[in-house]
Order: sequence, then C-alpha cells, then structure tokens
Amino acid sequence: MIGGPTAVATPETSERPPETKLTPGEWVRKNLFSTPLNSLVSILFGAGLLYLLVGVVGFFITADYQIIRVNLANFVVGRFPRDQLWRPVFATGILSVAVGLTAGGLTIRAEALARETGSTFRRSTPGDWMRRFWPLLLMIAVMLAFTTTVTPTLVSLGVIGSGVVGNYLGRLLPAGARRWGWSIPLLGLAVAYLALSGFGGLDWNQWSGLHLNLFLTVAGIVFAFPLGLALALGRRSTLPTVRAISVTYIEFIRGVPLITLLFMAIFALGFLLPEELRPGNVTRALIAITMFEAAYIAEIVRGGLQGVPSGQVEAAQAVGLTPWKTMRLVVLPQALRHTIPAMVGQFISLFKDTTLVTIVGLTDLLRVSNQANAQPDFLGQGLHFVTLAFVGLIFWVGSYTMSREARRIERRLGVGER
Amino acid sequence: MTADTYTDATQAAGEAMIQLEAVDKFFGDFQALKDINLSIGQQEVVVVIGPSGSGKSTLIRCINRLEKHDRGRVVVDGIELTDDVKMIQVVRRETGMVFQQFNLFPHLTVIENVTLAPRNVRHIAKQEAEDLAMTMLTRVKIPEQAHKFPGQLSGGQQQRVAIARALAMQPKVMLFDEPTSALDPEMIKEVLDVMEELAQSGMTMIVVTHEMGFARAVANRVVFMSDGQIVEVGTPEHFFTDPQEDRTKLFLSQIL
Amino acid sequence: MTATLHPMPVRPPFWRDLRVIRVVTQLAAVVVVGLVVAWLWNNLTTNLEARGLPMGFEFLDGPAGVNIADNEFRPSQPVRDALFVGIKNTLALVVAGIPLLTVIGIVVGVSRLSANWLVAKSAAVFVELLRNLPPLLIIFFVFNAVILELPGLSESWSPFGLLVINNRRISVLGFTASVGVGWFWVLVLVGLLIAFVVWRWRTRRFDDTGEPHHRVLWAGGVLLVAVVVAYMLTGRPVRISLPALEGRRIEGGYSGLGAYFGVLAALVLYTSSHIAEIVRGSIQAVSQGQVEAADALSLSPFQRLRFVVLPQAFRIAIPPIINQYLNYTKNTSLAIAIGYAEITRIVNQAIGNANPAPQMILILMLIYLVFSLTISAVSNVVNRRLRIVGRT
Repeated sequence: MIGGPTAVATPETSERPPETKLTPGEWVRKNLFSTPLNSLVSILFGAGLLYLLVGVVGFFITADYQIIRVNLANFVVGRFPRDQLWRPVFATGILSVAVGLTAGGLTIRAEALARETGSTFRRSTPGDWMRRFWPLLLMIAVMLAFTTTVTPTLVSLGVIGSGVVGNYLGRLLPAGARRWGWSIPLLGLAVAYLALSGFGGLDWNQWSGLHLNLFLTVAGIVFAFPLGLALALGRRSTLPTVRAISVTYIEFIRGVPLITLLFMAIFALGFLLPEELRPGNVTRALIAITMFEAAYIAEIVRGGLQGVPSGQVEAAQAVGLTPWKTMRLVVLPQALRHTIPAMVGQFISLFKDTTLVTIVGLTDLLRVSNQANAQPDFLGQGLHFVTLAFVGLIFWVGSYTMSREARRIERRLGVGER
Repeated sequence: MTADTYTDATQAAGEAMIQLEAVDKFFGDFQALKDINLSIGQQEVVVVIGPSGSGKSTLIRCINRLEKHDRGRVVVDGIELTDDVKMIQVVRRETGMVFQQFNLFPHLTVIENVTLAPRNVRHIAKQEAEDLAMTMLTRVKIPEQAHKFPGQLSGGQQQRVAIARALAMQPKVMLFDEPTSALDPEMIKEVLDVMEELAQSGMTMIVVTHEMGFARAVANRVVFMSDGQIVEVGTPEHFFTDPQEDRTKLFLSQIL
Repeated sequence: MTATLHPMPVRPPFWRDLRVIRVVTQLAAVVVVGLVVAWLWNNLTTNLEARGLPMGFEFLDGPAGVNIADNEFRPSQPVRDALFVGIKNTLALVVAGIPLLTVIGIVVGVSRLSANWLVAKSAAVFVELLRNLPPLLIIFFVFNAVILELPGLSESWSPFGLLVINNRRISVLGFTASVGVGWFWVLVLVGLLIAFVVWRWRTRRFDDTGEPHHRVLWAGGVLLVAVVVAYMLTGRPVRISLPALEGRRIEGGYSGLGAYFGVLAALVLYTSSHIAEIVRGSIQAVSQGQVEAADALSLSPFQRLRFVVLPQAFRIAIPPIINQYLNYTKNTSLAIAIGYAEITRIVNQAIGNANPAPQMILILMLIYLVFSLTISAVSNVVNRRLRIVGRT
C-alpha cells in the first residue's frame, strides 16, 4: 500500500507560543460577562457587594478608636503591673531569638539536604519574608498605630531585630545540631517563663489579656503532647485494659464541649482535691485544656502511626531492635512528621478555643473587649463593633498566618492530599 | 515540507477520517507539539510510539479536544475542532477513548458505566442500551461481571470494561492512550487481544503504546514521535527492520 | 532407627516471659488508674460531706431556683424540669441550625468554584474570614455589635411590615391555620402522591424510550399545582400572620429571643464556612481522570456534574460534614456567654443555686455525650451505606 517509511522534515527552531495574555477589557468580559446569566449575576452581586463595602469601609473610617488607644496595654497584657512591662518585652525578645535560631537551623538543614540530593535551594530574602508574613506585619502596624508614644514601635523593631539576629546565629549552627536542636524552642520558653514570673515576677495565675491566650495555647500544647502521645500508643496497645482505658478517655473527652471541662476544672476540681491543694484559676483552666487537647492530639498521632507502613516495623524487628527502640527510632519520627500539618491545625484550633476561658471568669483578650466597653468613658456607646473588630483582627491574623504556614509545610513534606 | 505520501493514497480511497495540519501545542513556554501533520484513513490502525515526553499523549488528546491545540487544524470525520462547543460534543460522540488509568466510574456498576452515555447522550431506551452493553461486554469477554463494581475487578478486567464503555457509543474512531501501561504483566495480553480483535473487525484506531509486539502485528502504520515532532512514519515491516532516521534507530536500539 | 523427639517446653525466667509481662503490665495499669480514681473519689466524698452537700442525685427533685427567659418555668419547679427545658432549647438551636448551615455551606462551597470571578472571590473571602475567627468572638460580635444595637422595644424596626425587630426579640411572619386546614393537608398529601406517581411515570418513560425525563420539573410542577388547587378548594385556610407590636407584646407571627437568633446566626455562619471548604475540597478531590472520561464520552457539563462528579464528591464530603454537625452541637454550649438558656447555662445557674457542682457537671457531660454518640452512630451507618464497593 505504501512506499518505504517516510521522514517528515523537522522545523529548525521552536516558535513562540501564541499570545494568551488578556487585556483588562477581555479579562472582565471573560470572567464576569461571559454569558447572559453571568452578566446578570455580576451586576446584581456587584451592586450588593459595593453597597456592603461602602457601608463597612465608611464605618471604619468614621469610627472612634479612642477606646482602643486607651486600652491597648490592657488588650495585650491585661493587668500586668505597668512598671514591670520589661518582663513581657524581654520574654518576647527571648522567644523571638529562639524562633530565629530554629528557623536559621532549619534553613541550614534544608540547604545541606538540597546539596546532597542535587536540588536547588534558594535563601529567603527579606522581601520573601515580608510577602510571606504580610498579614502579621500589617497587624503589628495597626496595633502600633494606636500607640501614643514611640516606645512600643522601638520595642517591636527590637523584637523583630532580635529574631533576625537569632536567624543569623542559627545559620552558624553545625549541621549536627539536629539532635539537640529541638530543645532550643523549649529552652526559650523556659527562659521566657522565668522572665515573666521569676525573681519577683507575676505568677501565671495573674496573667491576662492576649498574653494569657498565648500562654494557654503554648502551654496547652506542650503539656498535652506527651499525654496525647501516651494515649495514642495506649490505644494501639495489644493489652486490652490499657487499650480500654485509652479509648474510654479519648471518646469521652471528644464527645463533650471544652466548656464542660472548664466548668469541671473551675467549679468541681476543688472537690476532687484535698483541702491543701487549691490551684489558681489559670492553672485549673490549663488542666482542663491539657486534658481536652490530649484526646485530640491522640487521634492525630494515631492517624500518623497508621500511616507508617507495617513493613517498617518488620524491618526494624528483623534487624533486632527492641520494641521501644523501634518506636523511638523508626516509627515515631516518620509518624510525627506526617502529623505536622494536623498538629498545626490543632494549635490554631486551640488558639481560638482559649477564648472560652472568658466564660469562666478569666480575663483573656476577648473579656478585655467587654471590660473596655464597660468602662465609664465608653459605656453604652456601641463601641463593641470597634473593640471586637480589633480583637477579631488579632485572632484572624494569628489563625490565617499559622494556616498558611501549615499548608507550606504540607507542600514541602509532600504529605496531605494527593 | 514533504507531504505524507500515504495521504494521497487515502484521498483516493476516500476522505481521511482524521486530519492534523500544522498542529502546534504549547504548555506555557514549553512546546509539546511541533508542526504535526498526519492523516488517518478509515479502518486504519495507527500506532504511535516514542520516548516519554515526546508528545504522543498530547497528540491523541487533541483529537477529542481533551487538549486544545494552539495552531493548525484538527479535523475529525469532516468536522473541524474549534471553540464551537456543539461541534466538540459531536466529535466526542464519534470518538471513543481508553485511558491509561481506566477512569471507570467507581460508584456505578459495570453495566451502569457502559450504559450511562448511550442512555443520556444518544437517548437510547434502557433495555436497548443494556442489550448493547451486554453485546460489548461479551465482545471484551467479561459478560458475567456486568453487575459488579469496578473496585471488585482486576486491572485487566477494568480496562476491558473501559473499552466496552467506549464502544457502546458506537464511535467511528477509537483512541487508546497507553492502555496497558498501568497493568500487571499477566493482564496485558487479555487487553491486547481485545484490541487486536477490534482492529480486525475494521475499527479505525490510534494507539499510543510501548507494546512493540502489538505494533508489529496489528498496525497498518507506525508513527515515531520525539520532542513533539513526528520523526518517522511507516509500515511495521519497514519501520522495524529498516528505519531511516537516526533518532528512530536510537530509540529502537534501546528497546528491542 | 527413628527416635521421636519430645521437645521440652522451655519456660523462660518469669521476668522475661512475654505472657507474664503482659499480665503484670495490665495489672499495674489497672492498679495505678484505680488508685488515682480511689484517691479522687475519697477527696470528693470528704469535701462534699464537709460542705453538707448531697452525694447522690436526689437534688434533681428539689427546686431549681432558676429563671428561664421566654418560658413559663417557675423557679419552684424541680431541677429535673429545668434540665429538660435546657435540652429543649439546645435542640431548638441544633434542629434549626443544621439544615441552614448545610444549605449555606453547599451554596458557598460551590460558588467558590464559579466561573464568575466576583462570586468566586466573594465566597473565598466569606470562608477565609469566618473560618479563622473564634466562634465565641463571632457570637459576641453578632450579639453585642448587632443585636443589642437594634432599636428598643418602643422603636421596633419593621421592614416592609413583615418583621418586627428590636433588641430583645425578633419576630418574623408566621402562619395561622383556620377551619379547613385539615382538608388542606389531606389534599396536599394527595398532591404529593400524584407527584410521586408522575415521577415514576417520567422515569419509566425514560427507560422505555430514552427521552429525557425532566422528572424534577414535572413532579415539582404537579405538586405546585396541587398545593394551589388545594389552597383554593379549601377556602384559603392558611393565612399569613404578621407580627405586630401591641403595647409591650408582640402579637402574631413567630417570635424568638434576640439571643437565640444571635447564637443561631453566629454559629451557622461559622460552621457553614467550614462546610463550604469541605464541599469545595470534595469536588476538587474527584480525580481529573473521571472528568476526562466523562468528557470523552461526550457527556454535557451538567451531566458530568450530575452523574460523575457530584456522586463521588458527596461520598467524600459526608464524613467531615457530619463531624462538623458534631462540632456545631458542641459549640451551642457557647450560647451561655450571651445568656441564652440552653443546657449549659441552665446547669451553670443551677450550680449557682447551691446544687452540687460535681453531679451537675457530670449530668451536663453525659447529655452532650448522648448527642455526640448519636451523631457518631448516624455517621457510621451513613458511611457504611455510601461506601464505594471495592475488593472485599
């Protein structure tokens, strides 16, 4: 049917792709007015949206922010003695350094890894940091806009500066620092705690404001993690009683709202403890939060453990590792890596849940908003909108930033959905 | 530009079933198809081979508009593929596609998978559609699996169901995108046998595959692609024993 | 010469014997937990005795001493009754909220994938804004910043005459039934049956001839006609009752506490943002290959959605959505912050009236546990029914 194989002449150069950039006019046409229905929706929706935006923006422009200016310190540190504010500042600085150190150390590790695998690694520039954390920076700028002196601005710059210094120092860490590197954040927390409460400072039962929310979040996760880990391992245990205890605890706690545990802690804990042992309110809240979070962390860790292929355990056994060593050196490192995104999600959840302590009388950031509105200068002026928007901004930025970081980690690790 | 001498022969036989003229396709800045010219006649079986990334899949996905070509013309059974949605639907009715990953609908039984499109696109009555489906399933040799779910079948059985599903629309052209690449070796033969029977029954087929044995036995023409271009076209006899281009020789030497 | 071997069972020393270790560990666990529980129990009984508080649950029959707004509950009624009112109020939030948040969540989630840029971006802003806020903050915001800012009773706001809105109650239009309403419902039921028959007929027609059935339009149309006919034939027995301010009361319509609507609105908005994310994720999770297979078969975009994408997305979305229902139910406990008398607040008030805290809180926890376990059980049943059949 055919002659011999035929060759097709090949073009010399590859040509440019056809221009596909849309002009603004075309973009509008394509995205908003592509079909009659689409156009109708765009017009109606656009009109409604515009109305709403004008109303909201107008409100915020004409609102009176005096209530925030006056109460700014209350919002951030609650009733912390004003002459001891160097303590929270110092603590924040220490934590900033610790975070910087960890970040720097991780950068070095990533670089080393990239060099080994032959892939490229790009150091983040200050521009990258700003693009990544712009909500956070915007929030700090907004808060500083409410200050009356220049000190807070200087302090903020100082804290950010110490973070940057920490980052550079972290990059100087030897690559082998991996083994004890995880202790840096914990050490930072311990030093920060000492700065706040040691040497004549304020016991944590007196902390309030945003400070209290942050403390409850961090302490909650730190204390709940070992308990959660133990519960997760207990749930997978082959020993029936250990398993039963773990399962009962986890399912019970996950079935009740956090507020009931807070009630139990604030109102009923006293009955369960002997006369001499009466913890302060913040301690009680912390106990409730720890017990609550431990159950959820247990489920997250359980998910991570299930994700480790059984072949790993078999290989470890074949090599002769004891059960404990297998768990510690083979299973847990893999399992916990996979849980990082979910853990960050739980962290965010807890951060938002710390607002519940206002119901049991603790003065957290949300309660400060109510208290500010009850002050004689501001009573009955309908300023809840303003203060709640401010508090909302702080929580929103915190959650959103951590959310984005979690997604970033997920992408980096290649875990999560396909 | 030398014209494909085969085109003249098919023009004599009748309209080409599929015609690609000067087709370019870009993914961003990367050019996946460079000046593709190919003509495929009725009842012809064309096998497309080439290394990964050569554009083979992109080529056949342009034929049923799963990919949109950036330059040139793609004409299927006299209908040119443009942005005209109606015409695209017509072309898709007349072309059947079998995917590497089978893509059976997991929530529907086998027979529901096969009758879905005939009932809802060609508006065939239920009983008629089911009879048609059973005929197709018998043709691919698994009529007894009609009421199972895809998840209960082996890979080879799933792919054969996918072939039956495409055939149930009674297309004029069947497109195969690496149909056996995702199968365990022992199941490849059952699928290739079905494809061979299909070819012998006179179906126009374009098959992207790595199965050289199939190409040798069944193809009317073999097309070799590399770097987005068609490098060489020929009958299996000439192609495998006496390739002309260096790139073709290199490729064949690495796999045979 | 064959020698039969009788292997001697080698008993390892007991401290290395796996079986012994297992038993001992379990025993130790039980003993430790038991000791802790015993210590706690001991403290509990001692402290309760020292305070003169009852150990058992007899207090349930004693007077509650609480006032419940919007209810004829008298403080002298037993605690037990107060608890029932609380449960009823919680259910009022749950039953009204779950359908609302599902609908809003699905609409917003699908809108996020719209081809219209305005719609898609607005949905995205809605979701990202609400998802990242604490639910309690949203409740405070809706209540303090919106509801309490509404005009007082005497200056109630009455848009279009359909609603009466003030800072204590929100009243919407309601329906009053008069004579003949019984027959109306009977005729509507008949209409429903006819619509059902029409549905089956259109489906059978589709099976027999392949002609598109449009059964939703047909059955829906028939039902609509039936309702209108029934309404006319029975002499218009159902009238709209508009709420009106008479002195200090609202007559007519359906009326609810501002606090109720506040919590409902806040939690519905919050939870629906999570549902929207789940819906969006589930649609995007349907693999591209499924979409391409549907396209290759020349199914229209609508057919593709209906037959291929939505059934699979639905199965993916159901478990997390039911989990959100659970979260919503637990979050109703936050209503205590603005004084709505759901079960948590009732318990709180009861404790304030010298009822023993440990028992009351235990009861509260058990009530929520019942809610949770019920929803979990439903979830398990639903998951089993919807399971995509795979290799067993």
